[in-house]
Amino acid sequence: MSWNLSFFLGLLLLISLLAIRISTILPGSRNAKSRTKRSASDTCSVAVFLGSGGHTSEALTLMSALDFKRYNKRIYIVSDGDILSARKALNFEAFRGEDPNLCSILSIPRARKVHQSLLSTPISTLYSLAFCVYHLTLPPLLTSGQSSFADVLILNGPGTCFVLCVAVYVNKFLGLPAPKLIYVETFARVKALSLSGKLIRPIADRFVTQWGDSRQQEVSSSRWLV
Amino acid sequence: MIAFITVGSTRFDALIAAIFTSQVLSTFKKKGYTKLTVQCGHSTFKYANEIKNGETKALDQEGIEIKIWKFKPSLEEEFEKADLVVGHAGSGTILDVLRKGKAMIVVPNPTLLDNHQVELAERLEEMEYLIAATVETLPQAIKRFDTRKTKPFPPFDGSRFAKIVDEALGFT
Repeated sequence: MSWNLSFFLGLLLLISLLAIRISTILPGSRNAKSRTKRSASDTCSVAVFLGSGGHTSEALTLMSALDFKRYNKRIYIVSDGDILSARKALNFEAFRGEDPNLCSILSIPRARKVHQSLLSTPISTLYSLAFCVYHLTLPPLLTSGQSSFADVLILNGPGTCFVLCVAVYVNKFLGLPAPKLIYVETFARVKALSLSGKLIRPIADRFVTQWGDSRQQEVSSSRWLV
Repeated sequence: MIAFITVGSTRFDALIAAIFTSQVLSTFKKKGYTKLTVQCGHSTFKYANEIKNGETKALDQEGIEIKIWKFKPSLEEEFEKADLVVGHAGSGTILDVLRKGKAMIVVPNPTLLDNHQVELAERLEEMEYLIAATVETLPQAIKRFDTRKTKPFPPFDGSRFAKIVDEALGFT
């Protein structure tokens, strides 16, 4: 067998193994569906990405729906420089009368800055991904007793939140505990999904739209979450 | 009565220009509006250069008291005071205004790349929660606006999202 052929076969084997591994961690697989049952008195940690502007207000409205006795640890993820979202999160926690020690803010580098050239976007996206993988993977590994970065990660766009999803999948790929991914498409999207919605739909554990199926549009408020 | 005009965090030149036409101002006057507050953001219009950040310009036009400023940290107070809000079709603004039980006319910004604002405005008009207009149809929209014809906006219901998260995490 020529060297070229064995290299090709090896590559094929590697790709197949990767594909098999990925298929076992995607939301539809049996592995991913086996869920942990929790009792009513258990507590959880929740992380939420605040994507600035309308995304942030909607995300905080979603957070306001949660019972903070149960979701007693909260991580607010903001993009670098988005001071307004960080401030809104702290105001929200203070308004709820919560202990400031039970919430934290994680600032992550943007995958793509506004007006950034397309050429340098891959570099900043990779940097953002490396940062997210590092922060989602290492601290939980080093702190004994903690299972994962958070038990659930809530997302509603825009772009940078896809990088967080990929970082979660790096954890899943390595067989490490990873948060459940819940994506809520913004209230603003009536007919078509946003780009982040389209990207995240196949990999989210729960993908929710607020206006129902795009083909049989419901004219009702029964699915609104904000 | 007071009307509040808002463009959100960016600019909407065409909407601001329309507001200052005598056609729109006289329609406001006829409907009983004596005061107008305009949050102009970064919009370019005839008074833009006269307004510094954090300052308010006051003027009287067509018998209406007009106050113009660029931004405030929160618009809650303005929504509270207003009888009618005329705004861009940003979902955050719409939710804030309608949850306060205020009447609203939305004008989607046609210069935005994505036209999903138009879809949201049209859908909410279909549901009779607000009136959707264009810069051109704004005078007619103000004229035909009747708060008795809009439906009360549904209150926030957190139980739906709480259930989704609880289920995903195995709480039954």
